[in-house]
Amino acid sequence: MSRDARERILSRVRDANRDREPVSHPGPLPEAAEPPGPFTQAADAEVDGQTGVADPVDAFENRLRAAGGEVVRLADKAAVRAWLKEFASEFESVSVCKGVPQGLQPELAAAAPSEASLGVSLAVGAAAQTGSLLLSSREGRQAQLLPPVHLVWVRAQDVHTTLGEALQACREDLPATLALHSGPSKSADIGQILVTGVHGPGRIIAAILGADA
Amino acid sequence: MEVHSGDYRARARRIIEETPEVREAVTAATRTFVEHRLEAFADLDEDALSHWAERVKSHALTHLADYLEEAEARLVERGAHVHWAESASDVHRILERIVRDNGVKKVVKAKSMLSEEVGLNPFLESCGVEVLETDLGEYIIQLFGEPPSHIVGPSIHRSLDDIRAIFHERLGTPRDASPERLAAAARELLRNAFLTAEMGISGGNFLVAETGSIALIENEGNIRLSTSVPRIHVALVGIEKVLPKWDDLSIFLQVTAKSATGQPVGCFVSIIQGPGGSAAGEPDGPEELHVVLVDNGRSRLLADPEVWEALRCVRCGACLNICPVYRQTGGHAYGYVYSGPIGAILAPGLVGLEETLPLPFASTHCGACKDVCPVRIPIPDLLHVWRKRAVERGLTSGVERSVLGLWASVVTRPALFGLAEKVAGLIPDQVVRHLPMLREWSAGRELPRATGRTFRELWDEGIE
Repeated sequence: MSRDARERILSRVRDANRDREPVSHPGPLPEAAEPPGPFTQAADAEVDGQTGVADPVDAFENRLRAAGGEVVRLADKAAVRAWLKEFASEFESVSVCKGVPQGLQPELAAAAPSEASLGVSLAVGAAAQTGSLLLSSREGRQAQLLPPVHLVWVRAQDVHTTLGEALQACREDLPATLALHSGPSKSADIGQILVTGVHGPGRIIAAILGADA
Repeated sequence: MEVHSGDYRARARRIIEETPEVREAVTAATRTFVEHRLEAFADLDEDALSHWAERVKSHALTHLADYLEEAEARLVERGAHVHWAESASDVHRILERIVRDNGVKKVVKAKSMLSEEVGLNPFLESCGVEVLETDLGEYIIQLFGEPPSHIVGPSIHRSLDDIRAIFHERLGTPRDASPERLAAAARELLRNAFLTAEMGISGGNFLVAETGSIALIENEGNIRLSTSVPRIHVALVGIEKVLPKWDDLSIFLQVTAKSATGQPVGCFVSIIQGPGGSAAGEPDGPEELHVVLVDNGRSRLLADPEVWEALRCVRCGACLNICPVYRQTGGHAYGYVYSGPIGAILAPGLVGLEETLPLPFASTHCGACKDVCPVRIPIPDLLHVWRKRAVERGLTSGVERSVLGLWASVVTRPALFGLAEKVAGLIPDQVVRHLPMLREWSAGRELPRATGRTFRELWDEGIE
């Protein structure tokens, strides 16, 4: 049945287009039309001769904060250790994704993702344009989704300016699911009143690792 | 789902007269959406973006068969099962098979308009499967036993008090519970469902041919959970959802979110290439991925040279939000899963003009929908095509046809028109108000007064 349905659908679609002038693909969107991040507001900043585009890490931070996310920037290993110790003290248990280096794992009791009060993952990239963290299913998805708080490590050099660049960097080796997390879980479905932490994590913290971290 | 569009006028009247709070809720919510959309596009070259997006979608549609085959090949390479469904009953048969083969008892559903279109929930329930909508808005309307009222905000017609009352009755929350308390109650119940369901069902915002990727946009995380936690994931994807290239995706994700809610992008986006879990050598994720490519009238619409452009729609809901007619009633008056301006052109194309007749007339033809469409669908023109066809097929009322016929023969004869203008000045308002066709129109309006002088006389005098 399914085979026949396939042939019939495809043949109807081909017939439908038979007398139609094919439309060509316009190619990439002209750069000037790219949706800007908040970074163009920093008109005084100048990077690589391009006026109006500030450091993508600054832009990423602004964008994620505007969506209700939290951002912390850590320059070196000592800063990471000190911050992580302090941060972890708020939680009872943790579920850590595969691939998060030892030094980035909080010293907390390990728990199943559905039980843990904190989930920790390591982003494969980030996009300043949309304030998005890119997460791979290869490191396990449940710790990214089930705990009420999600800590995401991201390296400063993996923060791209546009979402297109960030996705392009993943193009050659895509996991089963590549996810973008760009803010805490939220909904306005109850009387148009904003509520956070509906199904996914109600807090998302991006911890950006500097070159020496 | 059953189509009740034939009753549009009666349904719209009932909603406006019996539940005036619906108009209030829908107008407030859509105004907010419109404001957020305006802010999101304030610093953008909207024209360049929409022209580009239009071209990409038109390119995809005019090469649709090739791209569908490409997407299928990529998905199969990654171990996904690809099914093709010509109709709603095909979708039912495919789902029944998956459910029976795997002993599925409980399904968590992420928001999918296509699943509403093919009436999936009642069908699965008839197979003995428990179905839980997990999008908060969808969950709310499931409690009320209602279809969605809006493409993006399915429960926008319901006030906080409505929701407090039904949650109190069904979940035992206090009568004056805060929105946070209500959301927490739903979260707790649905969290358990995510962890125990054998299957998750989603739609698909985009299907990228080049990589076989299904992209899904959301804010709550329920789509990520539905497509990650249960052992089986089934994605229902309309065949028109194709994007040609991976590089097209980033802009479409942004344009859709900005047009829908004014966000830079949804809080969560899932870009799914294949099954996860041990099948992919990954720690978790669904072991099985089934992608159901659904036609259900789309290829027929594609074959229609006058209305095929409606298939570019990305379901952002911007045309609903801006529409002065939609705002009066919300989506339920339309009697079909897709409402508002886009619904009024999709419904006759997907279901048939006879079955959905008054919908192309449910518009003031103001053109606001065209201005906000991110893929430049000429909605007023397409409404006009359906109206013209309704007249040609003799589907409009006999009175309307004879009155318009008379009108046409008068206005195309200058002498007769001049005479008519003089005569019109002699007819009292009370009589005009009760003429056929004018009765409804004049019920809420001031009638222009005929002065008894002709246009030509006024013209010769010079208009001040």
